[in-house]
Formats: sequence, C-alpha cells, structure tokens
Amino acid sequence: MTRSLNRVMTWGVRPPWLQVARRIVRNPPALFGLVVVIGVVLVALLAPVLAPYPYDKQNLDAAAQPPSAAHWLGTDALGRDMFSRIIWGARSAVFVIVMVTLVGLALGVPLGAAAGYWGGWVDTLVMRLADVLFAFPGLLFVFFVAATIKPGIEAWARAMGWRDLAQSGYLSYGVVILSLGIVGWAGLARLVRAQVLTVKEREFVIAAHALGVPTGRVITRHILPNALAPIIIALSMGMGDIALSEGYLSFMGIGLQPPAPSWGNILAESAGRYWRAFPQMVWLVWIPGAILAAVVFAFNFLGDGLNEALNPEI
Amino acid sequence: MATLLEVKELRTEFHTQDGVVHAVNGVSFTLDEGETLGLVGESGCGKSVSMLSVMRLIPMPPGKIVSGQVLFQGRDLLRVDDEEIRSVRGNKIAMVFQDPMTSLNPVLTINTQISEALELHQGMTKEQARKRSIELLQMVGIPEAERRVDDYPHQFSGGMRQRAMIAMALSCSPQLLIADEPTTALDVTIQAQIIDIVKRLKRELGMAVVWITHDLGVIAGIADRINVMYAGFIVESAHVKEIFANPLHPYTLGLLGSIPRLDAALKSKLTPIEGLPPDLIALPKGCPFYDRCHYRTERCENENPPLELGAVRHSVACWNWQDVRKLRKH
Amino acid sequence: MGTFILRRLLWLPVLLFFVSVITFALGLYGPGDPVQVMLGLHANPETVARIRQEYGLDEPFYVQYVNYVKNVLQGNFGYSLVRYRDQPVGRLIAEHLPVTVQLNLCAIVVGILIGVPLGLIAGLYRDRWIDLAVRAVVIASISLPIILLNPVLSFIFFREHIVFVPLLDRLVSIGPLLPQVAGRWEGVLSPKAILPVLIEATGVIAILTRQMRAGMIEVLSEDYIRTARAKGLRERVVIVRHAMRNALIPIVTLVGLMLGGLVAGSFLVESWFDVPGVGRIAYEALFARDYYVIMALTLLIALAYVLANLLVDLMYGFLDPRIRTMG
Repeated sequence: MTRSLNRVMTWGVRPPWLQVARRIVRNPPALFGLVVVIGVVLVALLAPVLAPYPYDKQNLDAAAQPPSAAHWLGTDALGRDMFSRIIWGARSAVFVIVMVTLVGLALGVPLGAAAGYWGGWVDTLVMRLADVLFAFPGLLFVFFVAATIKPGIEAWARAMGWRDLAQSGYLSYGVVILSLGIVGWAGLARLVRAQVLTVKEREFVIAAHALGVPTGRVITRHILPNALAPIIIALSMGMGDIALSEGYLSFMGIGLQPPAPSWGNILAESAGRYWRAFPQMVWLVWIPGAILAAVVFAFNFLGDGLNEALNPEI
Repeated sequence: MATLLEVKELRTEFHTQDGVVHAVNGVSFTLDEGETLGLVGESGCGKSVSMLSVMRLIPMPPGKIVSGQVLFQGRDLLRVDDEEIRSVRGNKIAMVFQDPMTSLNPVLTINTQISEALELHQGMTKEQARKRSIELLQMVGIPEAERRVDDYPHQFSGGMRQRAMIAMALSCSPQLLIADEPTTALDVTIQAQIIDIVKRLKRELGMAVVWITHDLGVIAGIADRINVMYAGFIVESAHVKEIFANPLHPYTLGLLGSIPRLDAALKSKLTPIEGLPPDLIALPKGCPFYDRCHYRTERCENENPPLELGAVRHSVACWNWQDVRKLRKH
Repeated sequence: MGTFILRRLLWLPVLLFFVSVITFALGLYGPGDPVQVMLGLHANPETVARIRQEYGLDEPFYVQYVNYVKNVLQGNFGYSLVRYRDQPVGRLIAEHLPVTVQLNLCAIVVGILIGVPLGLIAGLYRDRWIDLAVRAVVIASISLPIILLNPVLSFIFFREHIVFVPLLDRLVSIGPLLPQVAGRWEGVLSPKAILPVLIEATGVIAILTRQMRAGMIEVLSEDYIRTARAKGLRERVVIVRHAMRNALIPIVTLVGLMLGGLVAGSFLVESWFDVPGVGRIAYEALFARDYYVIMALTLLIALAYVLANLLVDLMYGFLDPRIRTMG
C-alpha cells in the first residue's frame, strides 16, 4: 500500500507530462540543463546569422589577438575569429549528437525490442552481439573504429568522384557519427530489451494480443510507449557522452578535421600547437574547454532531472 | 471496560505538488480494552492513513499530522518523543499489513524478523528470541515451525507469510493490534483461516483489535463495533448488528447493497455505488457524499453534517438520516 | 544455477572468437602499415617485402588468423612490431599490467569509499539541499572533459607565463605541494598516484552514488521498511539492517562488473600522468598499428569482461536469498 500511497502522494492526479515539465522547472540544475541545451540548439540553428565572421576565414594580420571589440573571444594563431568558430562548433556538436542518437535509436530500439519480444535465438544473437561490443574497451574502441573506417570512407568518396569532399574534412562527420553509432547502440538495445521483457507480460499487452492486434502494432503501440521513460532518460544522458566523445575524438585528431569547427579540435589546436608557442593565449584553451564542459554538464543535469521527474519512486 | 485508545479530531494531510491532500479530516473515536473495531470504507477514504497516524508511521514529508490527539493509555502519542513512540510500536501497539508478499524483508530470515522485536522490547537473548519465534509460529499454525523459522520469506506461501506477520505482530503481546486489510491479498479460503487465527488469538490474549477493511462481509463476524469512513470523515458508527440491521447513512446503505448475501432473493441484484469519491485536494464545502447520494437535499450541498447520535449508541453524519430510515423500509 | 554457469562458460570461447576476428580484421584492414611505421616512409620496397614475409604479413587473412590462434593456444602472443620492437607481447603485458591493475583497484576502492556513503546520504535526504549538492558535484565531475587536464596542468606548471598567478598563489599556497603530487609515476603508494587515482575514481563514484541513491529511495518506499518501523526499531537499525542490505545488492553487482575493467587502462590518464600501464601501450599500439599488441590486449579485456559477468552471477546467488535457494 505504501507504494500506491506514495504514488498518489507524489504524483497527484494531473497528466504526467505536465508533471514532468513542472518537476524539471522546479529543479534548478535540470532547468539550467534545459536552458543551456535549448540555447545550444538555437545557436547551432542560427550559426550563419550569429557568427560575425566565417569560421574558416584566416587573417594572419590579426592572429593570436586577445578578446577585443572586433573579436569578442580573440583570434587563434591563424587569425580566425574564435567567437565565430565556437558558434559554428555548436552546430557541429548538435549535428553529431542528433545523428549519433538517431543511429543509436535506429539500431538499438528495433534490435532490443525484437530481442525482448521474440526471445530465443533472436535474443541470443542480438545480446551476444551487444556483449561483443561491451567486451571491447570503451572509448579506445571508438578510436580504433574511427581510425579504421576513416580511410575507407575517404577512398569511397574518391571512388565516387567527390575529390573535393574527400579532402574537405567534412567526411570526418561521417566517421565520427558512424563510429560512435556503431559502438553506442548496444546499451540502448539492452535497455529496450529489459523494458520490453517487463512490459510484455502485463495484462494490457496480453489483452491486446487476445483482441487480435497484430504483433508489430502491439510492439509499437502498447509496449514501446511504456518503455519510453527510461529510453528518454538514457538518451538525454547519452547525449552528454556523445558531445564529450566527439570532443575527445576531435582532440585526438581522428574526429572532426579542421577547418570544420569543433570544440574538441579547437581545444586540440589551442592546447597542443599554440599553447607552447603562445602560452599567454589562455582564452584559446579555457573558452572552448569551458563551453564543452558546460554543454556536457547541461545534458547530464537534464538527464538527471528527467530521471527524477519520470521516476517519482525511482 | 476501560478505554484503551481515544482518538480526538485527528487530521492528516499530504503535501503534494498538486496541492494538499486532505486524507483524514477530524476523526474521533474510542476503543475499549479487548474490543474489536471495524474500520470500513473504499480505498483512499483515510482508514489506513488514520491508523498509520496513530502509530506515527506516516511518511513525513509529504505527510503531516496537522492536529488532534491520540490518547493511548492516557498518553498522547502525537506528543511523546521518538524514543517513547518506538517503545510503543511493536510492543503495545502492533500492526499487520495488507500485502504479506511485500511486507517482509526478502533478505532476512523469518527468525531474524520476528526476533528483533523480542530482543528490542523484551530484552531477550538471541537464543530466547529464537525459541519464542518458534512458539509464535506454532501458535499461528505454521507446520514444522522449528525448521521453517530459518526460511526466507520467499520460501513461504502468501498465507504462511501473513501468519508469520501475525506472529511477528503478536510477539510482544500487544494491547492493540491494528490489522490493515490483512486478508485482501489472499485467497478466499486462506482469508477465512487468517480471520479465525486472529479471532482465536484475540480471545486468548485479550487484546483490542482495529480491523481495517473495505469489505463489510469480512468484518461482520469479527467486529464488535464498526466505523464507516468516507473521504476522511467517519460517517457512521455503531455496533456491528445495528449497522447491518439499521444503517442510517446513505453510504453505508450503498456498501451493504454491494455485498452478496446468501439469504437474499435470487432476483435482487447487487447494486454498486455510482460515481467516485470526491477529490481530496478540493473537498466540497458540503457533505462529501453529496454527488453520489440519492437522499441529498439543498442543505447537503452547503453544509457538512457533523457526526451525531441518531439512535442508541449509533452516530451518523447525515442531515437526512431520518428520511433514510423511512425510505429504506420500502 | 549449474547449467547457467556452464552455458556462460561455453559462451566464453565464442565471444573470444568474435572479438578476436573483429579486432584482427580491423587491425589488418585498417590504415597504416606497421612495417612502414617500423622502417620509415622512405624504406626500400624490397626490405618492406622481406620484413612482411618474415612476419607472415603477406599471407591471406584467414591464414594469418589461424596461425595467430595456434600461437596463442601455445602461449605465444606474438611480438611487438613497432614501439617495443621484437619484445614478446606476453612479456610486455605482464610488465605493464600490474601497474594498471593497481591503479584501477585503488580507483575502485576509493570510488566505493566515497560513492556509497554519498549515495546513501543523498538517498536518505532526497530533494534536500545535500542531495542536490551531491548530485550536482557528481554530475559535474563526470562531465569535466579530461582532455582539459593537460591545459590545466600546464597552467599550473608553466604558470610564470600567466599574469594573474601571483594572486592565485597568494590565495592558496599550492607551490610547494606541486612537485609532490605531479610528475613521473612512482608506484601506487606514492603521493603522485593521488591525482590519477582520483580521476579514475570519478566514474566509479558517479555510478555508485547514483545507484546507491536510487536504491535507497526505492528500498525506503518498500512495505517491509514500514513493517520494520512498526516494530519500534530505531531508525538507524531500520536503515542499516533493513534498507542498506537490500540497496547494496546492486552495488555489489556493479563493483563486480567494474572488476572486469581492471585490466583496461585509461590511456588518457596513463599518458598524461606518465603511468607505465597497459592503457598507454594500447594507445601507442593503436596508432602504430601494432597488431599483436592490440589483439592481445583486446582478448585480455574481453576475457576479463566475461569472467567479471560470471563472477557477478555467482555473487548474486550469495547475496540474494531469493536466488540462492532456487538451487
């Protein structure tokens, strides 16, 4: 009885989505996360309007300048405007986060749902595949995959006759998205499978079957919506990880390649090459570092807030 | 007989994000030593919350006992310190809960769970407590108690777990046993066994019992007196025979209409009470049963009737109880 | 339970097979060429061909793979082709693994000692300021990009370049402390291990705090906690005997799974703190395409992963009577 009592006491009677929104708004860290995330997405969408300079325009006459009226966050060693690069970096980050999440959803949800729903050899196959991925050592494996598929993708672009594209550095988006997506779906698949397993035996699912609702519809209409809350929580927390991994990949030189702007490669350039040459240019390191950290914070705070809001009893 | 428990004007609220849930709204009743009181009502009517308030087991926050007195053997339990209320719980007042599947700790043996109260309140050693636990299990009819005392709860069936819960509750020979729907989660045959056990032990130990239930049929054979609760109010209170023979509150009438009776004519149908209980966050200013009542008048919409004597030792909270009595005859 | 363990054990070679094939293929078909790395870009093509033949690198994929597996079964993990030229991989790992295991073990212990109490407090005081603070600090610590570590440390070490450092130095006199805690690895018991251990521990702390908090909140809402309170037990007994015992079961599981990660070094931490562990070898091997080193490390990690999973399943049996007595 305590459990049902608790539910009434904490949930009340209003519709759950309204409740979730209220719980987020009343949780300062989660609200901060939400505001920052919305802000980053807006900046990403409006990058061409907001950025005062093109992200790749070099101006060696104005290289390595501290913040000024013309260059709010200063310029890097090639004279590129830091403020503009950071803004375009938001676009890169959001693009990578969205795409990797989509790849993860596209692979993880159907595979996890199939494994949980049908069980048997489907389950064995999918979960063992996930096991194999889990058995590889984390981020190092992502690096490994990225470093391995990169030349393949470049060769493919050349074979298609897109020489410019192959040299532009934009292909690196594909490399980052594929390697993070390939490695990242397994966690989601496990989660979806576990959820499907618990929901599968509930009365309303059995009733739907008994009424002759087709299997596909039972899964999409009855089972998945009930597994939604943990998926949302996992995705929002995963987004912070994706941003961080993209930063690491780009920092290590196997992610987004300059001139394509990424907070990770800005940080790498600043912290690596320029730091020693221009140790007084602190802003080159602190600004992209702080922004990357803040965005990862924001996603994690939001995920934590959603976790609290969607699980009143946990 | 001497008064054991006297509850006066008890009010308990829960502060939720939606607003304040008024769960118990000024409940008063007394209980004599050795008496059995049935507390009857639909789920959410405040019957469990009021008894949990008596033991101060309401989770706080979000719960809050706003006002009232709980006089147990003359002491107001709502105003004693934590140390003192703990010395009452499990010792002088014990409680058996609704769901025996979740009310026992899955990682501790039955012995540990019965013994800890004995060690705490009776100062027994581990060996003494174990011996007593076995006796208690035998008393509630667990076969091979000596062996089963070291089992974990999941090795017991539902009925056996509820017996173990009763054994645990009775371990320190309490003066008051609060049974919170102890049979609701069990099969009908097991229900009868549990009721018999409580009746027998009550006779042997001479304790008072508050039996919380939503089922008037269950309570008929056990209780001396019945309090009917609705939306956090006691709406009718009388001796058990009086309630069945002469119900005065329209809600009690509805409850009686919804229990199957063997002696009723075959064609008479069970009549459920239509509608839903009021929102405890926004209680109506008039009678809480107004929306569902067949006897309502204008006055009922605006004034909440107090609990008043309607017959000998029979109180009711209804403006129109005399009409109810007249109309019921037809 | 017995058949379950047997199935898990049978699964082990299958998993190792898949992991090794995938790694082998990635290593072989990936970019770069260890021989090129070995000999430099302007090497004589004949020498390259000779060396390739010498190491069997000109054979088709399956031949190389089968040869590799044969050797591994005889305890020969091959030789490092690049950085630790011609050293047997087995010995290379045996030299560096203890450092990583020590470092990770310390991190796990520190993580348990910090994470479990933090989660306990946060769970007990849910939604109070202390809970919010614990959650915020934990999230912040896992969100901090460790790639910032390099600039942060440089900032501390090369601080004479930075104008406002005298002010900082006046506020906190960290100067004399620095050489103590930073610099080359001197074993896990020296003060220089403090920073790497703490950094490795943040992940552990975050996971355990979160689980302990969620576990306590869930367990405290259980009916049997109310039963325990109704017996008149002290709140301390209710929490320690009745709540914590249940909340710790998933914690033990998580720690067991973490043991699987003992052999995987964090290359970022190991590179920056100059820790001679396997993480750094893995990182170097990866970018130099040092096949056999990569293969051996990956197999080791996969093996540890499976064994840790098995350990967890066994532990569950001991911790949770509901599983133990099922037989």
